[in-house]
Amino acid sequence: MSRNRAIAATLVSLTRALGRALISERVARQRGLLQALDPRVRVIGLFALVLAVTLSDRISVIVALFCAAVVVALLSKVSLASLAARVWLPVLFFTGVIALPALVLTPGEPILAPTGGSFPVTAQGMSAALLLIARVETAVTLTTLLILCTPWMQVLQALRAFHVPQDVVVMLAMTHRYIFLLAETAGQMFESRQSRTVGVFDGATRRRMTARTAGVLLSKSVELSNEVFLSMQSRGFRGDVRVLSSFRMRSRDYIGLVAFLVAGGVAVWIGRS
Amino acid sequence: MHIPDGYLSPSTCAALYAGAALGWYGGLQRIKRTLATRMIPLISVFAAFSFVLMMFNLPLPGGTTGHALGVTIASIVLGPAGSILAISIAIAIQALFFGDGGITTLGANCFNMAIVGSLVAYATYRIVAAGAEITSRRRLLAAGLAGYVATNAAAFLAAVEFGIQPMLFRDASGVPQYAPYALGVAIPAMMIGHLAIAGVAEGIIAAGLVAYLQAADPALLQSTSGLAPGATAACQPSMRHPQRRWWIAIALLLLLTPLGVLTAGTAWGEWSASSFSSAEGRARIAAASQNRPAPPVAPTGLQRLSSLWTSPVPAYAPPVLKSTSFGYFLSGMFGVGLVIMLSLALQAYLQHRRGAGQPG
Amino acid sequence: MTMLPIFEVQNVCFDYEQIPALRGLSLTIGRGQSVALLGANGSGKSTLLRLLDALCFPSRGSISFCSEPLTTEQLRSDEFALPFRRRVALVCQNPDVQLFNPTVFDEVAFGPLQMGWLSAEVVARVEETMHLMGIAHLRDRAPYRLSGGEKKRVALASVIVLDPDVLLLDEPTAMLDPRSQSQLIDLIQSWKSSSKTVITATHQLEIVEDIADRVFVLEQGSVVAAGSPQEILSDGDLLLHANLVHAHRHTHGTMTHSHPHLHSHARHEH
Repeated sequence: MSRNRAIAATLVSLTRALGRALISERVARQRGLLQALDPRVRVIGLFALVLAVTLSDRISVIVALFCAAVVVALLSKVSLASLAARVWLPVLFFTGVIALPALVLTPGEPILAPTGGSFPVTAQGMSAALLLIARVETAVTLTTLLILCTPWMQVLQALRAFHVPQDVVVMLAMTHRYIFLLAETAGQMFESRQSRTVGVFDGATRRRMTARTAGVLLSKSVELSNEVFLSMQSRGFRGDVRVLSSFRMRSRDYIGLVAFLVAGGVAVWIGRS
Repeated sequence: MHIPDGYLSPSTCAALYAGAALGWYGGLQRIKRTLATRMIPLISVFAAFSFVLMMFNLPLPGGTTGHALGVTIASIVLGPAGSILAISIAIAIQALFFGDGGITTLGANCFNMAIVGSLVAYATYRIVAAGAEITSRRRLLAAGLAGYVATNAAAFLAAVEFGIQPMLFRDASGVPQYAPYALGVAIPAMMIGHLAIAGVAEGIIAAGLVAYLQAADPALLQSTSGLAPGATAACQPSMRHPQRRWWIAIALLLLLTPLGVLTAGTAWGEWSASSFSSAEGRARIAAASQNRPAPPVAPTGLQRLSSLWTSPVPAYAPPVLKSTSFGYFLSGMFGVGLVIMLSLALQAYLQHRRGAGQPG
Repeated sequence: MTMLPIFEVQNVCFDYEQIPALRGLSLTIGRGQSVALLGANGSGKSTLLRLLDALCFPSRGSISFCSEPLTTEQLRSDEFALPFRRRVALVCQNPDVQLFNPTVFDEVAFGPLQMGWLSAEVVARVEETMHLMGIAHLRDRAPYRLSGGEKKRVALASVIVLDPDVLLLDEPTAMLDPRSQSQLIDLIQSWKSSSKTVITATHQLEIVEDIADRVFVLEQGSVVAAGSPQEILSDGDLLLHANLVHAHRHTHGTMTHSHPHLHSHARHEH
């Protein structure tokens, strides 16, 4: 591995993370089906469908749910091309690779013998692989839809509505906020290292340097947390963070909620074996 | 090691959510008891740090690269309760905001990595470091070992969770409904990648960070050192009054969860022995452990997988596997439960030795 | 000129992990005064501001606010702490530390919510303050998407929403472009005229006359001089000693010499 490849790969991950946030904001601002619903309905509804995906045993039901997800995506102004690039192709690739051995490893009746009889593809193996791929594709599509159409703030508020403890929600919010700061800082540290180092270092040195960068980031993190703590105190934080509550359900939210739950329920009913 | 949606059955997910919830509850209670207000920003920023650390590409001995979780250093600096919360939060944000990792499997991922990972890392660190000076080399060894053991413990749990799926959840014609690989395949597949790569990465980072802190800010290592605190401990959250009750509850849950999951599934004895005689070498690799839908991470995983795919497959199916796959599984769960129990006992012993002499 | 003291600092010492930051520092600040704490980096200005905001407590000496001592015990009671937190506001040098909420609106609303105000009032005051500071269009923006100047404005908004009596500003003009800087100075002057007490820590001599009636010069953790801006700024030796000016060789037209000076918009003449 060339001396800079690891650093470059790290930088790619960091910038990707930062970029994700911006994409989400753009889609969330569109006026589409999902965006129009109360965030709590979105969370419950999409989660119910994901649950239905995991509970159904029939691949036909799962595929139906996938099609429903695609329709919802279109109605919510989410580009199918971006879904394909972001979800469908990567999941197909990864899950496909993982599921491939199952074709021959799953016991059952052989249907194909591509390697001349010693490792036959079984019917059960085929079904298992397809089932797994279908499940993962549909589930990830649904959760991605939720994430794309819901700004982080609303996700947090929805969680509060589900009685996730206040402290936890505050920590989720703060962590999210500081991920970007730390990712930026880390990115800057790696960039400067990349531009400053010449020559090839051996593995041990590179490890030490990376650990050092991580260490500096750690120190900064702890220092940051101390400063933030003082800052919170300065504005009156005494131990329990108080926030505004704001959601109100309208008729379309109830309709949406019912629609999701019915769809999920039907899927589970039909899909049970 | 992050398990996506679709690989685990709903009942497995539910059982692991229950286990995770217990861990979260215990962690929160613990935090409230100590300097709660200060911990909120500390845990948050540590969670953010862990998240960013997960993106670092670490060059490892042998020319590969790996990723660390950060659970070890979190346990060493924050203590197990803080680490449980911090890593869980990092995992939750990965799933809920960045879309990496499943939502039905959030409980499972947190249970494996955040809860069991933190507890095992902490226990190993404390046991191996036992009383050494904060700046001693023994602590580096302890941290490295803790990272290695914790990562593999978490991976083992994940492997077990994968591996029991086909046993418990198949339809009438024998089609596995979720993860399709039995224990005999799942465990070696997962463990190879973690024993060789991910565990090493975590161990190296943990030791490296402890070394850094020994020089730059030893006070951060104080609270989990087991040593009597000096003047520098003033501002750190203290680990007094361990809540043994909830630790015991976790351990018990670990011991009982396998039974709970089993009763939810169908009878397992029907699994035929012939299934294990097929190739063991083709293994689902730890590409699953890096399961991000993004090309930059793919090549390493793919290379590993393709090299194994083409290698000669050993006809490996020891007799013991055929009849004791359940034993594997049980022993895994019990093993982790035992580690927890051990750490509890260790804590009790250390508490007893130190007496009630903790100031503040 | 009679003056009700609002802060009385007596012989205060403070250490950061055995490194002394303040050594026997004493000063008094009157209600409604606008004060500048002048000092180079490391002179103890930021530490002093934190002590004044009761975020840390001195290891020796005492600080009192309106004749009430600021101690750990005092700050533990909600009765004292909440009104104090409302009345005294601190704006940090690094806005990232101060912006820890998910959106700008949440950030500005944080203080009022912790004070226990009612939702309707919180929303009203937050909207009003955001309009005042010209950040209403940023209400749903996340902090990492803001520019340096915008962050500073949000940080300011998040404290002035509480209508504090005392404003503690730590290097407020740092990293601001000239226009934002002048806007900030206007703001400080408006506070001066509404008899708020404003204490600004800075090392930028050129803004001192605009923002302060009284100046304390800090060096290595204690006060080495106090006086009016004119008195202090004309004492070249003092400023040089306190590392607030420099004396490198520079050029006027065809003449080159060196003497204590600072680079400001008003070029000095000979």
